[in-house]
Amino acid sequence: MPLIHLWTALPFAKLEVGHHFYWHIGNLRVHGQVFITTWFVMAILIAAAFVASRKIQQVPSGIQNLMEYALEFIRDLTKSQMGEHEYRAWVPFVGTLFLFIFVCNWSGALVPWKLIELPEGELAAPTNDINTTVALALLVSLAYFYAGLRKRGLKYFTKYIEPTPVLLPIAILEDFTKPLSLSFRLFGNILADELVVGVLVLLVPLFVPLPVMALGLFTSAIQALVFATLAATYIGEAMEGHGGEHEGAHS
Amino acid sequence: MFDFDATLPLMAVQFLILTVILNALLYKPLGQALDNRDEYIRTNLQQAKERLQQATELAQQYEQELASTRRQAQALIEEARAEAQKIATAEIAEAQQAVQAELLKIQAEIDQQKQATLQALEGQVASLSEQLLAKLLA
Repeated sequence: MPLIHLWTALPFAKLEVGHHFYWHIGNLRVHGQVFITTWFVMAILIAAAFVASRKIQQVPSGIQNLMEYALEFIRDLTKSQMGEHEYRAWVPFVGTLFLFIFVCNWSGALVPWKLIELPEGELAAPTNDINTTVALALLVSLAYFYAGLRKRGLKYFTKYIEPTPVLLPIAILEDFTKPLSLSFRLFGNILADELVVGVLVLLVPLFVPLPVMALGLFTSAIQALVFATLAATYIGEAMEGHGGEHEGAHS
Repeated sequence: MFDFDATLPLMAVQFLILTVILNALLYKPLGQALDNRDEYIRTNLQQAKERLQQATELAQQYEQELASTRRQAQALIEEARAEAQKIATAEIAEAQQAVQAELLKIQAEIDQQKQATLQALEGQVASLSEQLLAKLLA
């Protein structure tokens, strides 16, 4: 990206794509900047959860109210994708997906990470690193395989040849496109958003990037919602199967 | 940009740990709280409904009692009025009879006296006519 590297002299508007702050654990390399922001995000979530559930009241107020609102939102989301009977066990997974991605995205947009200097690379939303999004997407894949196998046993694999074996290649392909689209959608949106904001800041440093930043906040929230909803849909789909055995359960 | 390394599995593990922690700190207790509140509201609503039902039934019952009492009172008044009417009619009839009887008695008395007077006068007719005759002849 030579064009972008032209402007690396400007202090706050530096764009560093593909530069990472490497940590070496044994003979493994990891992206340190991703872990730093991830720990920050996890700390925020755990602190919020802790404060919200420290003394639970019948009539909620303050942060308990906020987290209850979030929880109810997640419950509705999972319920609408998986149906009344199955959703409860999956609320923690889908909910953590949503909350984690949401706080990651917004932390990238709202926290002035640039003020913290790293030897190499820059701090940003963890979701703008492909490793994070692929990790989450693969977890979703594992989750829906697990859900399908647990619910339907080996009959789960009949979904590949139902309604007709002609679709077998496409059905198998689906298992690869699902995590691929999940991870690249999230990664692309967040990275593109940060790049657009970065480029605009380079060109016009004042006020002009603000609408794009606001739009970025909106997209970030939508991406978190999309990721969680799709994860819930995949899991619900895997549990449901093609047979009509649960027709009555979902009204 | 597409730089895969050990970050990927470590992020997955971290995410699972976060899920477990949030499950213990957030989803379980707050979900419990939500369910409890739902239950509380549902039972309260149920009780309120039952109470409303009871109140309506009681009101209806009272209304019915009131209506029947009013009807009884009306009947009593009607009865008393009829009785009074009857008594009054009977007394009037009696009084009229008494007056009639008195009237008849007095009539009879007058007739008797008239008879007696006429007889007495008839007795005197002879002597009076003799006196008249004597006077004329003299």
